[in-house]
Amino acid sequence: MSKEKKELYLGYATDKAVTPFFQRFLEALEQEKLMMSRCPKCGAEYLPPRQHCQKDLEECELVEFPEREAKLYSYVIVDFAPESLASRAPYVVAIGEFPSGKRLTAHITNLMSMPEIGMTLKLAFDRIDDKKITYKWLV
Amino acid sequence: MTRRVAVVAGGHSKFGKRYDATVRELCAEAFKPILDEGITQDMIDASVLSYAASQFTGQGAGSALIADYLGLHEKPHLRVESACTTGTASLRAAWGMVASGLYDVMLVLGVEQMNRVTSAQATELMARAGDMRWEYPYGISFPAFYALMASRYMHEYNLPHEVLSMIAVKSHHYGAQNPKAHLPREVTLEEANNAVPIARPLNLYDCSLITDGAAAVVIAAENRVKEFTDEPVWIKGIGAGASEMMIQDRPSLTSIPGAKRAAKAAYKMAGIEPKDIDMAEVHDCFTIAELIAYEDLGFAEPGKGREIVENKENYHDGRIPVNVDGGLKSKGHPLGATGISMTYEILMQMRGQVQKPSRQIDDVHYGLAHNVGQSGQFVNVIIFERGW
Repeated sequence: MSKEKKELYLGYATDKAVTPFFQRFLEALEQEKLMMSRCPKCGAEYLPPRQHCQKDLEECELVEFPEREAKLYSYVIVDFAPESLASRAPYVVAIGEFPSGKRLTAHITNLMSMPEIGMTLKLAFDRIDDKKITYKWLV
Repeated sequence: MTRRVAVVAGGHSKFGKRYDATVRELCAEAFKPILDEGITQDMIDASVLSYAASQFTGQGAGSALIADYLGLHEKPHLRVESACTTGTASLRAAWGMVASGLYDVMLVLGVEQMNRVTSAQATELMARAGDMRWEYPYGISFPAFYALMASRYMHEYNLPHEVLSMIAVKSHHYGAQNPKAHLPREVTLEEANNAVPIARPLNLYDCSLITDGAAAVVIAAENRVKEFTDEPVWIKGIGAGASEMMIQDRPSLTSIPGAKRAAKAAYKMAGIEPKDIDMAEVHDCFTIAELIAYEDLGFAEPGKGREIVENKENYHDGRIPVNVDGGLKSKGHPLGATGISMTYEILMQMRGQVQKPSRQIDDVHYGLAHNVGQSGQFVNVIIFERGW
């Protein structure tokens, strides 16, 4: 008997197109593991993960991304939000850059003052509701 | 072996919140001035419809509807979609079909109707042009993508927001003189700089408008041009460029790599340099986009675009007049119509037909249109040359 797929979605506005590969990413995220992908042929790494390598379209494998601290590369405070996120506005979207140079785009959820480029961001995880989970930044 | 291709006629609807019209009536309004010049449907071999976002109206098969409404239903037609650069992407596609000899004469018609939904819904629909898996879930609105560029630009070059507001003041100054503009009124620097925030650091006056409207041009192969006009505007250079899908993947956020690639290709094909350009229509979907465009197009060195703004070199009598029709900011930004509206403005400027002397640029020989899709994923730069 096949295992029933657990219903999981990423982030605050839900794109319900969840593939088996993306599902594995989400199930790891639920365990507070951020996964990147790696091409078995050329070794290229992708964060966020791609199922297919951009260079040779080989099927990538998911591997845990080890870094936990990043610097704020750029940010926006969204005051007027898309309809799907209107109830959350204003919110801060930040691109964080890890020491390896890889970047991740997520909300900063605990800012008490204006963001400053270069400030340290800590990777964290959150359960938004019973189906939605996310990675996020804390300062 | 390609043939030279010229823009030989144009038409433009009133831009605005057009609750009195749907896409078909807007297209008729843009096409009618072309018929009034004596050009008939029989003279047009085929058409391209630039219609970026049918999700705003729900109307599918747009080019079939429009071709039929305009009496072009027996002529081949197709629709192009490339987000906000759809207009010049359509012109590029049509240019290829005419230059190759497939057709001699084509209509390129751009339209968008964006006000049948609320602003929040429009913001939602445009956010879906981000990566649906990784960006959309975080509510990155269209202004937010450009705000991410603005934050980084302001940080790297120590740019005060006021410089961005000066661009908005200029746009509205010229939009106020353009009867086709969506928001034809002046704003003060104080109003622009202190407006309600939309996606900080961008405020309301940093953002282009959610607009309904249409614009149309007819292009013809060199051997047919004389049947249409003694004042053709040649398509001298066409450059297209592309950038990474996700904004976080760009090495730098202070420039749009696809725009630089497109500009380089366009200048090379035209055989001219940035200093030769007499006027530019740039994609100021946000004020920061106009500032970055000055640098990507080679009008200013990286980080120095503000000098063009502060010295008012971008006014109609300045070194490089930019968007003296009001731009996307004041004239409006009906997505699919925008690139064609830019082309129309260059045609009118070259012909000395902008109606108001206070925004007529003297002696335009080379005009440039810079049209950016989404947040720079695809860009078209087209250089036009006066043919008389």
